[in-house]
Amino acid sequence: MLTSLGGVLFDGFAYGMLLFLLSVGLSVTLGMMNFINLAHGSFGMLGGYVTVTLMDRLGWPFLATLPAAFVAAAALSVVLERLLFRHSYRAGELDQVLLTIGVVFMSVASAAYIWGTVQQPVQLPDYFTGSFTFLGVNFAYYRLFLIGTALVVTLLLVAGLEWTRFGAQVRAAVDNQRMARGLGINVNLAFAITFALGSGLAGLGGSLAIAMVGLDPDFAFAYLVYVLIVVSVGGLASIGGSFAAATVLGISDIAGKYYFPALGSFLIYLVMVGVLMWRPAGLFGKR
Amino acid sequence: MADTLLELKGVRAGYGDAVVLDDVSLEVPAGESVAVLGRNGVGKSTLLLTIMGFTELRRGSILWQGEDITYLAPHLRARRGLGWVAQEREIFPSLSVEENLTVTARPGRWSVKAAFELFPRLAERRLARGNQLSGGEQQMLAIARALTTNPRLLLLDEPLEGLAPIIVEELARVIRRMTADEGTTVVLVEQHAEIALGLTEHAVVLERGSIVHRARSRELLANAALLDRYIGLKLPEAAGA
Repeated sequence: MLTSLGGVLFDGFAYGMLLFLLSVGLSVTLGMMNFINLAHGSFGMLGGYVTVTLMDRLGWPFLATLPAAFVAAAALSVVLERLLFRHSYRAGELDQVLLTIGVVFMSVASAAYIWGTVQQPVQLPDYFTGSFTFLGVNFAYYRLFLIGTALVVTLLLVAGLEWTRFGAQVRAAVDNQRMARGLGINVNLAFAITFALGSGLAGLGGSLAIAMVGLDPDFAFAYLVYVLIVVSVGGLASIGGSFAAATVLGISDIAGKYYFPALGSFLIYLVMVGVLMWRPAGLFGKR
Repeated sequence: MADTLLELKGVRAGYGDAVVLDDVSLEVPAGESVAVLGRNGVGKSTLLLTIMGFTELRRGSILWQGEDITYLAPHLRARRGLGWVAQEREIFPSLSVEENLTVTARPGRWSVKAAFELFPRLAERRLARGNQLSGGEQQMLAIARALTTNPRLLLLDEPLEGLAPIIVEELARVIRRMTADEGTTVVLVEQHAEIALGLTEHAVVLERGSIVHRARSRELLANAALLDRYIGLKLPEAAGA
């Protein structure tokens, strides 16, 4: 029982880190600009397809595709933000939802047209395929890598937001956009950079996700639900909140599937409802 | 005569369909200070928001050192040298006192160190978050934050509102130092008309969104009848004489 609990915690934490990478960007941009970007999962899906394409068709090593997935998702997000999204910042929430859900449909159709509807296999390097056992718990190398990557990203994000002038400007803009503008902060530029970074992280998350959850054109919709759950449970514009929520939800999901297979993924929704009844603004949210 | 720093020409502005300011023209020469007076709701704060670019301007133009900034984005106006202390202080609550100052600081006379010397209380609270400050401390921080942007013109929107008398005295001392000693150009919107007139050289009175009276502050302070008529301020006999 204890051994299986250790395994569930480890696998759940690894899965949670995947959810964290996929969702943290949306949390920050939603909190900063009140822009509901349901297309966030599409950037994750793009990252996955970039990795698959670079590995299968161009023979790139897996690790080299990760920064490429980040850059591709970030670059596409800048294009979409400049061409489409920025025009609806002042629009109502329904307009934003309709616009971005439309982008998701287009991305799903585009992915199906280019790569087909089948699952995309990915061949991990040999050094990621093994595992070792410690205190009866099996630790897969790839999941350790996933956890390590997410922790490094978390540290970089926290350091960037807490200890740099740009980070302080982003936090100031989240606190009070009008005042930030009135004091000389280019809020639009800060948002565009943050949006690109957040989308890039989703791309990285999508790339890392393939080996754990697979990749097909439904990815953008399937993980949109998880991403929204993480953001609502963690609270808007909170890296710590997203980290905590992703951890709790990742472990809940794996534990639910392991101990109560009949319930499937139901436990994750139960946790969400419980947390939001306790703290409607999320674990670390302020509004 | 000093160069004109800011000039509003026939400005008509408001929010959405509502027009708040109508045909407002105002010149603010460099190094001088102007009090904007008027009863509640006449458009004093809207005037400052319009200068900063936060309202919908329907007619007229705004010039900054001769440059037309009518359609310039607010952050670019701030970088040109417009400093703004908002009516509700609007401190960044999740930033520390020091971060509130450094986040928009620009090079110049007013460094963060100089701001802490001006307000020693803020130096003592430098690590406190914005939302942990008292009203008086928040107002000190709002003024210090605007100063560290090293503006050429400081727009102060009711900086003394709702503060304890001792804090009002301290802030009035700071504003006097800025206007009289430092030569900072200031536009001061203030409900405390007596204090505002004592701190500034010129005054304009707004009524229903339009400027209805212009005078030297000293002269207006001596005109009890005008102050009563436009602002509802009843001065004691000695002051009004």
